[in-house]
Amino acid sequence: MHRSRRDRFIGIAYLTPALVFVLAFTAYPLGRMIWISLNNWSLITPPRYVGLANYQRAFSDHQFWVSLIFTLKYTALITPALIVGGYLLALLTAPNLRLRRYTRTVVFIPVVIGLGVSSLLWYWLFSTDFGLVNRILMDLGLIHEPVLWLGVDADRSNLAISISVIWKVIGFGMVLFVGAIQAIPTEITEASMVDGASYWQRVLRVTLPLTLRTILLVTLVSVIGSLLAFDQFYIMTAGQPQNETATSVFYVYLNSFPYLKLGYGAALSTILAVTILAVTVLQLLLTRRSHS
Amino acid sequence: MRVIGSLDGKSNVCNRILDRSEGDPERSGGCGQCLQPAVQPCLNVEEIRMPTRLKWVALVASTPLLVTACQDAGSDGTASGESPANAPVATTECASKGELTMWERSGGNKQMVDQLVAAWNAKNPDCAIKLTYIPHTEMVGKIAQGIASGEVPDLMGMDLIYAPQFEKAQQLVDLTDRISSWPELETASQGHKTVATMNNRLYGVPLYADVSALFYNKDLFTKAGLDPNKPPTSLAEMREYADKITALGGDVKGYYLPGNCAGCNIFTVGPLMWASGAKIEAAGPGDEPLVGDGVKQVLQFTRDMVKAGNVHPGDRTENGETFHLQFGSGKVGMMGTGNFNITLARQQNPSMKFGIALLPGMTAGSSASFIGGDLVVVPKGSKRVDDAVNVMKFLLSDDVQVEVYAKALNLTTRSDMVDNKYFKAEPLVQDVAKALDVGRTPYTTSFFEQINSPQGPWLKMLQRAYYTNDNLDTVIADAKEAMKSIADQG
Repeated sequence: MHRSRRDRFIGIAYLTPALVFVLAFTAYPLGRMIWISLNNWSLITPPRYVGLANYQRAFSDHQFWVSLIFTLKYTALITPALIVGGYLLALLTAPNLRLRRYTRTVVFIPVVIGLGVSSLLWYWLFSTDFGLVNRILMDLGLIHEPVLWLGVDADRSNLAISISVIWKVIGFGMVLFVGAIQAIPTEITEASMVDGASYWQRVLRVTLPLTLRTILLVTLVSVIGSLLAFDQFYIMTAGQPQNETATSVFYVYLNSFPYLKLGYGAALSTILAVTILAVTVLQLLLTRRSHS
Repeated sequence: MRVIGSLDGKSNVCNRILDRSEGDPERSGGCGQCLQPAVQPCLNVEEIRMPTRLKWVALVASTPLLVTACQDAGSDGTASGESPANAPVATTECASKGELTMWERSGGNKQMVDQLVAAWNAKNPDCAIKLTYIPHTEMVGKIAQGIASGEVPDLMGMDLIYAPQFEKAQQLVDLTDRISSWPELETASQGHKTVATMNNRLYGVPLYADVSALFYNKDLFTKAGLDPNKPPTSLAEMREYADKITALGGDVKGYYLPGNCAGCNIFTVGPLMWASGAKIEAAGPGDEPLVGDGVKQVLQFTRDMVKAGNVHPGDRTENGETFHLQFGSGKVGMMGTGNFNITLARQQNPSMKFGIALLPGMTAGSSASFIGGDLVVVPKGSKRVDDAVNVMKFLLSDDVQVEVYAKALNLTTRSDMVDNKYFKAEPLVQDVAKALDVGRTPYTTSFFEQINSPQGPWLKMLQRAYYTNDNLDTVIADAKEAMKSIADQG
């Protein structure tokens, strides 16, 4: 009995650093955010308790819904592109040959660049007057006058930003997929070859099922990352045209800092966090069911 | 052994005592900082050495005195150094020794602010200013965070349009009793003074002034058969001239509109509305924004300009990044921009001849301008209010106005200093300085949200007017509703 209590104490002692870390950097900020969301606070004046008023306001805020729907649209556009593109690249570069290793490195390099930096780079590449993209398309005769890529049409802006993000992020998924593909025992692949399976049959019937967990992981990371998109939109469109490309996090930022409405921003953050949690749980449940 | 090891260390000890005595965090923070007179005796004993035990005896003995002094000085609720009765007479020199910290927003005026700070530092090396630039778009948030955390500089440059917001929140030091009697202030930029004042209390002085005006390319005027010495005096003339310049063909366009930049538009399109008799922003809760026929008239004018092809299609994406480079390209006939563009255009296109006129309205001869720029203010919590006030005195002095501002061809912040040898040699600066007489600065505590934000109703209204066929009455009504809603939230 005595020993059991001591063991438990030792176990808790081992856990303490992790618990302290989680409490300090997750639980406390989360609690603090919820508390702030119940107040009106501009940072330069003392907080004023308003109860759930900020939440009520959020649900009747047209721009909040515009931002949320745009964010979901962006997520729906970019996630399949990242998963399918990353997987195809992984299939292409998985064997450890020199040229394929080199290709992997080249595709992965943008991952280590900051998103802000890459967004700025693409902002100028898509520039109407100075951008390389328009120049190339005009030189190839595909367009006759410069295209206004960013900040004029929401769908075109979304497409341009998605291209920039795909360039930046696709290498991350690819590397994870390569790892998963390389982990498949060669005996299985060889057995399917002996059975006469074609390349695509092997991919669909062997590789894909055996890398499903990695696909789930990459999808999860991609969906959460997309729902939290901020830097690229802040830099490349600043929400234009007419706030149609303002993502949810961008709208949170806008209210919290430039507008100094920290309470309302915290309420929006809380709603967004719950939305992401719900999407993630749903995704996990669906995958688990299909897996079983 | 020293009584208190360092100058900062001594101040901290004093402040800690004072803070404990007050209890109220707001009051105690302010008191601790404001009690320069109480802190001062500590400073004077810096070099005195005494045994450790005596140090503690002296410290304990002095505590009641410090507490009393703190309560006296803080009784009016002012921050330290604000107490006008104890304030020394302002000079253009150091009030105390030690580095002064100053924040300023980054932007096109960096070069000038650097020169002003260098001039102060050259004259006052014992209290040199350590200047920190903060990205323009992050300035408000940064100041707010500084205030919330108590980490504020001794003085700061603040975009003048945001001053009312911080004055209302009582986060700036009230300088009325220290500076309002200065003769230099009588001729200081009226726009700056307006926004530096709330409830008849004065919170700052001009750091620099930006005014908007109509820049026109004389070379293109000549090519288009227009008289290069006769700029347009009404919107109708602007349209007529723009048509002729655009007809020159090629990349040349008669006019420029920054389609994705709220700030650029209030700076250059706002004055067209003011000159046409309109009012733009809601000053506060219950106030009506976008009042007057001038709003619709100017929106119609700009829409017609775009539809007539007088504006380059690429201008639609201009978010302010390349705004200052457009006129110097030599491909724009007329453009609303600011005094900062004189030097820039010269550097970009030395052979281009250009003139400057006032931004006109609907009626011939009407004109207006946006007076922008920065104020020097002292945030609550500043430990060096006396020095900050002296910096203000220095900036407004005749010598600095002429030998720093005017010499570098920047606008002087005092109207009586416009008549100087440097401006006489540069007629364009004299032309742009005329805008100070017709200029104004919007006054609202929610300027960013109503006007300056890229996501705000002002830019949305302009974009709908410029690039859609939406009914202008509807466009204005929507913007009006949004602006009122923002103003009503305070």
